[in-house]
Amino acid sequence: MLITESEAKAICQKILGLVKADDAQVSLNSSAQTHQRFAANTFTTSGASADTSVALTVWIGKKKGQSRTNDLSESALRTLVEQAEQMARISPVDREYLPSLSAQSYRTTGGYTAVTERITPASRAKAIADILAAGKKDSLQLAGLHFATDTATASATKNGNFFYDQKSSVSLSTTARTQTGDGSGYFLRSHFDAAKLDTQQIARSAINKALTARAPQPLDPGAYTVILEAQAVADLVPLLSASLDARSAEEGRSAFAAPGGKTRLGEKFFDERVNLFSDPMHAEVPATAATAEGIPAEKTWLVRNGVIETLTHNRFWAQQKSKAPTPGPVNLILTSATTPVTLQDIIANTERGLLVSRFWYIRPVDQRTLTFTGLTRDGLWWIEGGKIKHPVRNFRFNQSVIEMLSAGVLDTIGVPERVSRGEGGGLPLFLPPLKIKRFHFSSQSDAV
Amino acid sequence: MTHSRRDFLFSTTAATSALALPTWMRHAQAEEAPPADRAAIADAAMVAARKAGATYADIRINRYRNEAISTRERQVQNVSRNYSFGFGVRVLYKGAWGFAASRIVTPQEARRVTQQAAEIARANAQFQPRPVRLAPAAKVVTSWRSAFEQDPFDAPLDDKIQFLLKLNERALAVKGVRFVNSQLSFVNEQKYFASTDGSRIEQNLIRSWPTFTVTAVDQAKGDFQTRNSLPSGRGMGLEYLDKYPWLEEAEAAGHEAVEKLKAKTIASGKYDLVLAPSHLFLTIHESVGHSTELDRALGWEADYAGTSFLTPDKTGKFQFGSKHVNFYADRTTPHGLATVGYDDEGVPGQRWDIVKNGVFVDWQTTRELAPLIGRKTSYGCLHADSWDSVPFPRMPNVSLAAAQDAVSMDDLIADVKDGILMFGRGTYSIDQQRYNFQFGSQTCYEIKNGKRGAMVREAVYQSRTPDFWAACDGVGGAATFELGGTFSDGKGQPGQVSAVSHGCPAARFRQINVLNTARE
Repeated sequence: MLITESEAKAICQKILGLVKADDAQVSLNSSAQTHQRFAANTFTTSGASADTSVALTVWIGKKKGQSRTNDLSESALRTLVEQAEQMARISPVDREYLPSLSAQSYRTTGGYTAVTERITPASRAKAIADILAAGKKDSLQLAGLHFATDTATASATKNGNFFYDQKSSVSLSTTARTQTGDGSGYFLRSHFDAAKLDTQQIARSAINKALTARAPQPLDPGAYTVILEAQAVADLVPLLSASLDARSAEEGRSAFAAPGGKTRLGEKFFDERVNLFSDPMHAEVPATAATAEGIPAEKTWLVRNGVIETLTHNRFWAQQKSKAPTPGPVNLILTSATTPVTLQDIIANTERGLLVSRFWYIRPVDQRTLTFTGLTRDGLWWIEGGKIKHPVRNFRFNQSVIEMLSAGVLDTIGVPERVSRGEGGGLPLFLPPLKIKRFHFSSQSDAV
Repeated sequence: MTHSRRDFLFSTTAATSALALPTWMRHAQAEEAPPADRAAIADAAMVAARKAGATYADIRINRYRNEAISTRERQVQNVSRNYSFGFGVRVLYKGAWGFAASRIVTPQEARRVTQQAAEIARANAQFQPRPVRLAPAAKVVTSWRSAFEQDPFDAPLDDKIQFLLKLNERALAVKGVRFVNSQLSFVNEQKYFASTDGSRIEQNLIRSWPTFTVTAVDQAKGDFQTRNSLPSGRGMGLEYLDKYPWLEEAEAAGHEAVEKLKAKTIASGKYDLVLAPSHLFLTIHESVGHSTELDRALGWEADYAGTSFLTPDKTGKFQFGSKHVNFYADRTTPHGLATVGYDDEGVPGQRWDIVKNGVFVDWQTTRELAPLIGRKTSYGCLHADSWDSVPFPRMPNVSLAAAQDAVSMDDLIADVKDGILMFGRGTYSIDQQRYNFQFGSQTCYEIKNGKRGAMVREAVYQSRTPDFWAACDGVGGAATFELGGTFSDGKGQPGQVSAVSHGCPAARFRQINVLNTARE
């Protein structure tokens, strides 16, 4: 069971009541998780866990100390406070200290449905057994993860702020592989409402991809027109948003720094159809109502009509620059400023190109250009005359994310949908398929 | 004999004088609550498991401490200590697993959580297509401590802060250096394991890792270059801060970051590579460590980390590399990050060959994996990153053996006409079957006619694992051998991290494809 709002408030108040320091902030995180993993057409691991931890940050004369524990007993909370205060006393002055937040007003953003309580081990085992049976019919090897999590987060400050929020997420990823290992398909979807996660459809999508990805043909590496499915976009594009930070740009160590100590803020840096923003109230990807620093989250345009509209400021940098701290991003939404096109239509409108199911093992290569390397995986197909012709062997890419969204390179923006990163983590995402005119593949991969 | 939690804490963290502890630590230990008896909790769980019909069960009652200090230039950005305590129970019922975990460490909760794990296992058993069988493991009742001299959690905070600020100062003293970010990370795992086999094992492990990044900026051109610290984390205590020349490393990093701003860009093409251990360890990790995990080869990681180009039928036959290539797995490596007394199902740490004279000979196994390839015992590769994580197969320290002869790095360079010398881990990526990879470095130098030349930049190499190791025509001697590694190797679903080391000498590779990342 998650910590309720009244319980969270009581714990925070108890801790703040013990604090003698000049300023303090308590953060509480309570979570429940269940999972079932399957592979090689059998169950592998499954389990349930719950944890609650509190982190305390205190400042004594602007000197900071921080400690965290998952022991909520009276004596442990006293120890937590004493440890944080002891650390603050012997720490140097925190030059970036700002008084903790006073009372803020937060909106209710939704997205909590208590998924871990609703999904029983028996119903989950049955659903996955059905998925395995479907794979077996097509002589495929299936692997995947069913994962449900509920979280409650709270924070409170000595200056009177209190925040509480609950969120749920349930996801299923499935990989289907042919017995001979010459084809593989993958599909991942998540939702905050278990009723809206169609587990059989997810498995069917992975199975269909595997069946159509069998016996891929080699193709020379080079620059190709690509259609990135929404999953592939989810794997790559969020890597852009973390770099839209004002401080690193102004310090000259970011892709958004400009010569002479300037930044790219206000420049039309991307194709004019690109809108990239965060909206905590979005119906499909409701996000936390507060940023990591406790600022009430609001709709935040990062890129509007291709122009960099926001380079994000945390509280400290905002104060240094006499600006308001940025109320986001807390999720990431990419839309077209013009009418979006369905994936089917994008394919139909492509004379020659590659359809990319997903990317894998993406790592930075050059922060100056936001160039990343990685590989295609679990489905890559050649398109000719508006039709999928045949599967293609996987490629390694070296590609600038900035370049692929720039004018003259970005061709089409599709219809966005709720997606998650295949490598895990990150913000809630609502992203479209994209057609890119030139995407750089540098070598072939034998991997299937 | 039973041990209370308080006894456990004192026996493990305060083997030295309690007077050496800072006030907060003495207080934290004196006030630990609840004073649970781990043996009684373990007994309660094991009895509950048997009562539920389990054929096997185990419990891990673990306490984790983490300390992280981060600085930039002349200021401390953050100091934090995390503490996490709890237990996780695995239950095997009619060949199906169930797992449950809780932070409330009492016998009553252990019974409830064990029943919860048994309920999950029962639900799975109805549909479990292939029942799980475990290789036997000997009953072990013992305690073990990693080879650290000084517990970093006992050391004054100010000393650790000053260590970082001095590093920063040394790098900032180099003309052209504009930023330095540095961190100190310490981890302490206090683990108690019990199983229905009768094992009762206490372990206390410490890991330490100072890291930093130096940045030089050419603001007029809008260019910047970084140089990260080269040494990896170690299974050592605070003594690691004294046993490595960190200040010299910071100064070198400063000079090299500035030099990178002016270095010429690499011309793409085939080059002979000489790779220093500070770089090569990561290539070993990705191409050898992960490809020889048996769970991957059997498809258990197909949905996330991937499978492997190796399959069980290739054991003892597959030509993995040249005759110079000998890899061994070793969970006893001194100061190795994956060095343990026992794994998370009570199997002792051990050493075995993975690749011998270039031929792939063996796998990384657990009690569940070993029988699947006809093995009678496990090599002890089960691990969980927390009390609330399900243990699953994780990599031991996998290392490249040094040459018997005293081959130096200069000897390796001397036989290269047109090549590249690389230090430090840079960009890295490998496909899901561990074939195609791309690696970059922190610093990179030309080799011309047997001599190290000028610094170059924007160089990465791409290869295919068996081709790359087949191209190895020389490895350095023991004097060039170093231990690299990482604190956070990701794998599994839900995702877990583990710490692992890879020892290696310098090594040479012929005619490897090198790309210019600014152009291709």
